[in-house]
Amino acid sequence: MAAALSGPLRPELAQAVSQARVLVVGAGGIGCELLKNLVLTGFSSIYVIDLDTIDVSNLNRQFLFQKKHVGRSKSQVAKESVLQFCPEANIIAYHDSIMNPDYNVEFFRQFTLVMNALDNRAARNHVNRMCLAADIPLIESGTAGYLGQVTVIKKGVTECYECQPKPTQKTFPGCTIRNTPSEPIHCIVWAKYLFNQLFGEEDADQEVSPDRADPEAAWEPAEAEARALASNEDGEIKRVSTKEWAKSTGYDPVKLFTKLFKDDIRYLLTMDKLWRKRKPPVPLDWAEVQKQEQNIPDQQNESSAVLKDQQVLNVRSYADLFSKSVKTLSLHLAEKADGEALIWDKDDPSAMDFVTAAANLRMHVFGMNMKSRFDIKSMAGNIIPAIATTNAVIAGLIVLEGLKILSGKIDQCRTIFLNKQPNPRKKLLVPCALDPPNPNCYVCASKPEVTVKLNTHKVTVLTLQDKILKEKFAMVAPDVQIEDGKGTILISSEEGETEANNHRKLSDFGIRNGTRLQADDFLQDYTLLINVLHSEDLEKDVEFEVVGDTPERIGPKPSEPTSRNISNGSDDGAQPSTSTAPEQEDVVIVDSEDEGTSSNAEDVESRSRKRKLEKGCECAGAKRSRAEQEQDQDDLMIVESEDEGAASSLGEEESRSHKRKLEEKGCECIRAKSMC
Amino acid sequence: MARPGPKEQRYDRQLRLWGDHGQEALESAHVCVINATATGTEILKNLVLPGIGSFTIVDGNQVSGEDVGNNFFLQKSHIGQNRAQSATELLQELNGDVSGNFVEESPEKLLDNDPSFFNRFNLVVATQLPESTLLRLAEVLWNSNIPLLVCRTYGLVGYMRVVIKEHTVVESHPDNMLEDLRLDKPFPELIEHVQDYDLERMDKKDHSHTPWIVIVAKYLTKWFSEKSEQLPKNYKEKEAFKELIRQGILKNDNGTPEDEENFEEAIKNVNTALNRTEIPRGIEELFNDDCCLKLTEQSSSFWILVRALKEFVANEGQGSLPVRGTIPDMMADSNKFIKLQNVYREKAKKDTAAVGSHAAKLLQSLGKAPESVSERELKLFCSNAAFLHVVRCRSLAEEHSPNSCSRDAIISHMDNPDSEIVLYLMLRAVNRFYKQHGRYPGVYNYQVEDDIGKLKSCLTGFLQEHGLSVAVKDDYVHEFCRYGAAEPHAVAAFMGGAAAQEVIKVITGQFFLQYLQFCKYFGVLPLTGLFCSVLLAN
Repeated sequence: MAAALSGPLRPELAQAVSQARVLVVGAGGIGCELLKNLVLTGFSSIYVIDLDTIDVSNLNRQFLFQKKHVGRSKSQVAKESVLQFCPEANIIAYHDSIMNPDYNVEFFRQFTLVMNALDNRAARNHVNRMCLAADIPLIESGTAGYLGQVTVIKKGVTECYECQPKPTQKTFPGCTIRNTPSEPIHCIVWAKYLFNQLFGEEDADQEVSPDRADPEAAWEPAEAEARALASNEDGEIKRVSTKEWAKSTGYDPVKLFTKLFKDDIRYLLTMDKLWRKRKPPVPLDWAEVQKQEQNIPDQQNESSAVLKDQQVLNVRSYADLFSKSVKTLSLHLAEKADGEALIWDKDDPSAMDFVTAAANLRMHVFGMNMKSRFDIKSMAGNIIPAIATTNAVIAGLIVLEGLKILSGKIDQCRTIFLNKQPNPRKKLLVPCALDPPNPNCYVCASKPEVTVKLNTHKVTVLTLQDKILKEKFAMVAPDVQIEDGKGTILISSEEGETEANNHRKLSDFGIRNGTRLQADDFLQDYTLLINVLHSEDLEKDVEFEVVGDTPERIGPKPSEPTSRNISNGSDDGAQPSTSTAPEQEDVVIVDSEDEGTSSNAEDVESRSRKRKLEKGCECAGAKRSRAEQEQDQDDLMIVESEDEGAASSLGEEESRSHKRKLEEKGCECIRAKSMC
Repeated sequence: MARPGPKEQRYDRQLRLWGDHGQEALESAHVCVINATATGTEILKNLVLPGIGSFTIVDGNQVSGEDVGNNFFLQKSHIGQNRAQSATELLQELNGDVSGNFVEESPEKLLDNDPSFFNRFNLVVATQLPESTLLRLAEVLWNSNIPLLVCRTYGLVGYMRVVIKEHTVVESHPDNMLEDLRLDKPFPELIEHVQDYDLERMDKKDHSHTPWIVIVAKYLTKWFSEKSEQLPKNYKEKEAFKELIRQGILKNDNGTPEDEENFEEAIKNVNTALNRTEIPRGIEELFNDDCCLKLTEQSSSFWILVRALKEFVANEGQGSLPVRGTIPDMMADSNKFIKLQNVYREKAKKDTAAVGSHAAKLLQSLGKAPESVSERELKLFCSNAAFLHVVRCRSLAEEHSPNSCSRDAIISHMDNPDSEIVLYLMLRAVNRFYKQHGRYPGVYNYQVEDDIGKLKSCLTGFLQEHGLSVAVKDDYVHEFCRYGAAEPHAVAAFMGGAAAQEVIKVITGQFFLQYLQFCKYFGVLPLTGLFCSVLLAN
């Protein structure tokens, strides 16, 4: 059998392949292809890890899975399927998150090569650090629609995954969501929050009722602050009561409708300063709406269910859908044990109906054009189109890059871009030379150091931990000590040691302009020195800035039609939803069947699924994010490479055009009208 | 309420690329794949997963141990059995919606006994075929007007070639589509709509909610009456025009300009919104194509519609294509936005209807049923009228004939001795080797040394016969001998992805084709990437 290989693979390489132990992180679209390719290339020791389970929408490309496997562990089924075809393969499967502390540097050190087949940045950052710490070469890859990319990361030789800052996912300000939505995505985010408020796990960051503390509504900043204080208290009460109140009405759809689309809107209208330059919303009245005719589905298109899903109905129909889905969901909730909540899932028809209806009604109230269920699903679930062919091409290239590494020719490795159509030079596949490490990288530099601009009187220890260290700097379990000569411990990763500090401000600990903090992540074997730059003039809604970082960008404007207008493979619908969720801000990119991930709603979902999976275990993973998925379009856009050798001018041109694409996106973003 | 069915769920991620009509085309297609090699089954896998209607594998070979080593869809237990049948069984498992068939016969035999066999397919994929068989097959398909995709994995080199007489694309999904706003040539309904706005006499709220398209149209009228009879063309004029708009922003009591986002949008859009409405050259060429000028009963609906389009342009269109009918999202209240959108939509509908009535007349004169062009087809055609695309390839016979082998192009490419075209020359040389020796070079390690000389002389023979005075580095000859015609899985997997993608494009009639590609991975030469050229295909 090896005869087929002895031709193209030199004997030394064939031997290196058979002796290599490799780790595949993710058993989704790329992962399935990759496992097959590895086995058939002669790799005999393969580890695969994925925390996800199989969904129907995986089946159009994740060929190791069949209908009967839906709901089962991806890594486990992938292993079984490969073994069925190739019984002699040696595969070890983990149904787990790669961010679990069990997979420490020692674990990584046993591998010859690590291959990422992920779809989210949090896990990519983490594996990047683990491979740097263990000094194991990493092949990174991603696909989105027709686009794909493969690159190689080797400590001290190439750029690491985090050498170039990637634009962080913009989250939407609370007051845009609650008071002044200006784009469909704002209404969709609102509808998903509403789902959680009514049926799911309530979250203080997902408030849906009018925000009286909106500083824009007040004349005096001081007044706004006072109002904020007042409404915080008020908000607490309210938050508890949203669900309770809904329950007390027996989830009466008409009462809910009246509160959400009439009373709350009327309340918003009283904040007249908000509407001086905006078109004010128009409250909806249930009885009035009921006078409208219901939409009769377009007869012509009756034949195709897909088309039906793509139709935009009228307000009456969405009101009815709202009512129907509220009833269904409240029944589902009633069936649950006490204290258990529903989890938003774009593939759950009632949940999706609810969001479609609520988002559209709100869009209508705020004078936006309503959207089809198909489009809303795309935006709500951050769906990225995904096809078998692109994954096949990319997974083939991963193995070929792997062979170069195993034959000691890392200098021949390339970053390879797969384009949607041939560029003017008729190239579909564009190789670019790998860049050397960025000496200022805050991850792979010999002594990583950053400067963070923040207001020490406002930022709490918890914000430092969750938003700065975990979300921004991708640490999993940070320890922080103040370099004040005394080594004061500010944050400890040991449970219970420093919780008391959480809600205190940094200034309470003597942290001020020029203070240096040392943050360690034991698991990642990573130490980051943080210089604090105190500032009182950060923009509204900005809690901190990393000096020298690219400014945050909002994703492309999500309001263009999504199904046909696919300009670069990442359909704009795939864009951001929302989310202040600490661990998954960038899941923007996700191929959502792997789970819409992305928003708080799903965040909760992932956490609670996690709990399900880890029955019995200590839930160490409360802050772990969904790790193994494929596709993160981010890295499709961010890379800029220089080139050399024969293909040089081409590569350069290409990477420039990738960059241009990014800039175009940037432009679109500027156009997005977040008013808050 | 519309709920997605199982199929919609399964195919959700791809419907977002090629739409439900693309999916329908895929689901009604029947594709033939010759040889269930690793390359063949990888292509099939990538067609079965997205739900191709049906496939038929043609393969007269038995499964060998080597097959099991590089082909995921063949197992040890299949050794000795027919390869077509074994692969069909496993491929079928990937998707119950797909109908899989197999024919246990070599393509040579089929060509001898029943060449019309191939007429039943929408497309034929030939993998790992010897040149002589390939040329025979290509001729049969060419004469029956059936697209052929040639795909080959040879060591670390991949080769792919689409052979298609004519391929017409309505939805090419271009990357940078400019909006079709007609601000330079406003149609009467648009003029009328813009006249309904009186920016001077509006309250502040309406003023700041007027769509930017209306603002630009208004100030363009002003520009024409005050500044120039011509559209602002160069940078200076455009800046002047922007300034004109800027002056229109309302001022508050202190004389400072208000914050009017819609005006800012108008200013920002000046550069792209003032592009001239004209017929793209590619479309102009289609109008003058023989297929458009000389319609026959055999003419496809594409060409009938091109002709109808041409007549529309000459008559109702007054020199322009039908209005596309979509406008970008913009700052405006929904009432104004929807009204404006409707102006464009209605005009698009009217234009489409006009193209439709030209088409109906043409169909009638050709003796065809009026419903042979559906409403949906007409609509799609009109909204893509600026992006229509026609691909025509040369036949394989022409490419292979010493008299018409793109000699000059090859020679000029070979100025760079590492140009990807060298891989093509080497593949032709190993084909010649096969013809002379009944096998490929270097299949067994012991043959490699001997075969280098033989392959070199095959290469020289081929170059001489085709009058190609180019030098090929010895490195390539060595490398191709070392390959031993092996089909490494990773390369086959890569080719499987790339080739299936082309098949889907041909079947759905969407996106641009690649025509021809080579790729080469690593070894003694630096990675050269994937090359694609119209050079040999045209």
